[in-house]
Amino acid sequence: MTPRFDDLIDDEVTAAERARLERVHELLVAAGAPPELSPKLESGPTLAMTLGKAPKPRGRRIALLAATFAVLAAAFMVGYIAGNHGGGLASAQTLQLTGTHAAPSALASLQILPSDTSGNWPMKLTATGLPKLGSRWYYEVFLVRNGKIFAPCGSFVSNGTADVTLNAPYRLQPHDTWLVTKQRWGDHETGTVVLRPTT
Amino acid sequence: MELALESPRLRAVPAEPTPAPSSEASDADLLVRIADRDRDAFDQLYQRYIRSMFGLALRRLRDRQRAEDAVQETFAAVWRSAASYRPERGPAAPWLYAIARNAIVDRFRTQIDTTGEVPEIVSADPGPADAAEASFISYRVHRALEELPPREREVVELAYWSGLSQSEVAEFLHIPLGTVKTRTRSALARLADVLEGELS
Repeated sequence: MTPRFDDLIDDEVTAAERARLERVHELLVAAGAPPELSPKLESGPTLAMTLGKAPKPRGRRIALLAATFAVLAAAFMVGYIAGNHGGGLASAQTLQLTGTHAAPSALASLQILPSDTSGNWPMKLTATGLPKLGSRWYYEVFLVRNGKIFAPCGSFVSNGTADVTLNAPYRLQPHDTWLVTKQRWGDHETGTVVLRPTT
Repeated sequence: MELALESPRLRAVPAEPTPAPSSEASDADLLVRIADRDRDAFDQLYQRYIRSMFGLALRRLRDRQRAEDAVQETFAAVWRSAASYRPERGPAAPWLYAIARNAIVDRFRTQIDTTGEVPEIVSADPGPADAAEASFISYRVHRALEELPPREREVVELAYWSGLSQSEVAEFLHIPLGTVKTRTRSALARLADVLEGELS
């Protein structure tokens, strides 16, 4: 039922203001109710939305070529060193993660420990502020490489805090990073991202 | 008095009054930051536009799944092409609308008309130009609603789309009728400021 404008606004406003408000009233009636969002849309942007590459301005191409060459040279050196020392990251590193819209008060620290002799990279994840999930849900830690989900590194559940040991049985690369998603049992797609690296 | 509608559709409202977000970054500022791969800015823009864009897609496609796909593609396109936005050429809302419209048209083209029959009666629906204008206005109105402080948006949503009278809104929210009227008037005035372009 559409409300009557005269029922909404008292006579205290000036004629000009009244006409202005009435026009807004007509727009609201014409626009209709905003749609209800699905839980998926409500939970915020998905990782997939941000995987596409932005077109680069033309003026930067030469600089990009030079930078690419430099990165390749650096990657070669890193690979060379890693190939001769059993791994890409020589010492423990700690990555700070912050909650996304899906878990706005979540914070986490992911410590990547030195690799063992078999090439496993143990990791310790300490998280706070993660919502407790339903029985069919869990959290998953993913290795991200070149802006794309590369491989899972372990799953866990949380009662608000989490302190878990995980493993990345892959040869890590210098720009690798991680994020945490919320997953439902049986789903094969990557779920909503709840923690991502602090920018 | 018993309320006819016991649980009107509402979004959560913070316990404490929230100031109007007028001091927040503009849409143009957010797009500039998105061009620099700022995910927080992307989150903010998403929250500002998700309802209006989804509403736009739903009106044109009339299918929730397709509309959801179109909205996801829209935001992916915003992320990809934010660097092409030029603030000096105009406000961000029409630019974003154009991206959404393109994504919706792409989805629309994939819809297959299985009947192939020519209607015998001329449709009373508005033509493409009228429909496009109506869609843009609805998109702007829904976007403008997101600018309202939650307590003002709440009374507008209850009054316009939950079928409650002002007295019933007051009863439902446990606030005086005068407060409902004050908030409604303030909300309409704020919307008028935001929608100045559509009002002229």
